[in-house]
Amino acid sequence: MRLEKCYFCSSTVYPGHGTMFVRNDGKSFRFCRSKCHRNFKMKRNPRKVRWTKAFRKAAGKEMAIDSTFEFEKRRNVPVRYDRDLMSTTIKAMKRVQEIRARRERAFFKQRMSGNKEREREENIKEIQKSIHLISTPTIKNKEAQKAAAESSRQMDLD
Amino acid sequence: MTRIRRKRMHCNNKELHQRYKSKRRTKDLDQIQEDLKPENKQRLLSIPEDEDLPGLGQHYCVECSRYYIDDRSLGEHRRGREHKRRLRDLKDPAYTQREAEAAVGLVTDNGRTLSSAIAGPQSLLLLKQKNDAVAAAKAAGTEKAMDTDE
Repeated sequence: MRLEKCYFCSSTVYPGHGTMFVRNDGKSFRFCRSKCHRNFKMKRNPRKVRWTKAFRKAAGKEMAIDSTFEFEKRRNVPVRYDRDLMSTTIKAMKRVQEIRARRERAFFKQRMSGNKEREREENIKEIQKSIHLISTPTIKNKEAQKAAAESSRQMDLD
Repeated sequence: MTRIRRKRMHCNNKELHQRYKSKRRTKDLDQIQEDLKPENKQRLLSIPEDEDLPGLGQHYCVECSRYYIDDRSLGEHRRGREHKRRLRDLKDPAYTQREAEAAVGLVTDNGRTLSSAIAGPQSLLLLKQKNDAVAAAKAAGTEKAMDTDE
């Protein structure tokens, strides 16, 4: 079973899924779904489309540099079948996957850290800026009192 | 019943659909970068007169892969925004399938780099040898222990 990667979003294309476009110079492009095909037809650059893997990796949205990526590679070296090697490999694959998942979680947490505080600060700022838009009686009274005090002060000055 | 509005829907936009037809497909950036190589460029700019092409195919913009009717319109196009944008797009190397695969960590490694000498099947073989040695040592140890027990 040959699993291809989508030209546009780099997701896996399973047999019987997606579309292949063969350009008139013989070069073929595989797409996982019509969304990717349509974006290709629009001549969009996958490096600039924010939801593609290429963009996310390049923009630091996902973990890109890690030692767990060193294992899965196309090596073009024939290896003689060895039952023990096979079993260790499968064991190692599971272990690497585990470690990578853990590191990815940590990466995401790190990337999202500080969001809550920032959001809170922004919310407070917005409330302070536009409190006059709220028309609850208490706030209205407060505003009216403030205005009255201000006007009386002005009159005193006059 | 009144008529349901069918105008200006995205799915009814005939122009868009026609533009994305593969028979109207224009050249991609990687093809144009191939065209821009000196030998190909020379060939494209000096084609014999062709009646089917605008301006007999004598006024061609290689970067935008478009024929113009005369040098004046070609010059006007060269000054325009579209041409300049195209020049900017052509500066970077074109996107390839290889790049798409690299984005999910699928790269080819034929052992020419230093880092690859450690990881991969070689490393697994080394690991296996090490494990075997440890196992053998353990077995030897237990045997010895059994010997002493006896």
